[in-house]
Amino acid sequence: MSRIYIFFALILLAAIAAGMVRILRGPTAADRMMVAQLFGTCGVAILLLLAKGLDNMVLLDIALVFSLLAALATMTFVRRTWQGNDGEGADGYPS
Amino acid sequence: MDILHNAGMFFIILGLPFFLSGTVGLLRFPDIFTRLHALTKADNVGLGLIIFGLALQSDSWLMVARLFLIWLLVLIASSASCHLVARCAMQKKIQPWSRP
Amino acid sequence: MTLIMLFDILLVATLLWLAWRLLATEDIFKAVVLFISFGLLMALAWVRMRAPDVALAEAALGAGLTGPLFLSALRRMERIRKEERRVDTDEDRDDDVKAGNKRKETI
Repeated sequence: MSRIYIFFALILLAAIAAGMVRILRGPTAADRMMVAQLFGTCGVAILLLLAKGLDNMVLLDIALVFSLLAALATMTFVRRTWQGNDGEGADGYPS
Repeated sequence: MDILHNAGMFFIILGLPFFLSGTVGLLRFPDIFTRLHALTKADNVGLGLIIFGLALQSDSWLMVARLFLIWLLVLIASSASCHLVARCAMQKKIQPWSRP
Repeated sequence: MTLIMLFDILLVATLLWLAWRLLATEDIFKAVVLFISFGLLMALAWVRMRAPDVALAEAALGAGLTGPLFLSALRRMERIRKEERRVDTDEDRDDDVKAGNKRKETI
């Protein structure tokens, strides 16, 4: 019965692999960063499903760390890299 | 016990399409704001339904508390960062997509 | 058990492809985002290798802290590079104006 959780995790991993295309193609820097955030959430879901499927509850702590640090990357990106107009070219626009 | 297990499985299966539609929306939508819309649905509702299903199936209250703590953290993270991205995109005068 | 094998194969293929794109791309920002996703998937790979403690460290350090540090350093690097470019053009202009006689003295 635990195989169905592995199957769900497999579906989510396929979703991650498909979302990779947006990193390579995304026109602005924010698109790329949003994909990284979606990866974080998908990773949390995969870890939760694997914790149930493999019957290993330690994985919940890893998911906790994932969700704790999920906000950090995007916030640093917005406050440091994207905001402020003096860093032209850093925003990744095809100028 | 069995009905709780089945209900949990129902919620997990209900949550999966949100993640898939989040990915598809991120790939197919035309501009930043619509992609943010797709992303937040995957973050909040998809993970929320999966966590709700797993919490129905778990057998100790400590596990339920940990699962909901994870969901709370992801909610805070995704809402705060999506708000920041959208506000910064508005400040940068990025035009929202409209039907041509 | 064949399902978990499929999971592993997809995970390894995605990791390899991600590492290749990360090393081959020219845009530094794109490489940083690819690095963050690589850290996330690497944590999943450590989980599958039955090392949850290493996965915990990878999730905290590899994806959580190194990524924002890289993003912060990227901004600073852009600023430094811009200042260097401005200094370079100023020196060029000085060289054009003084038309070489200074250089003759130094040589």
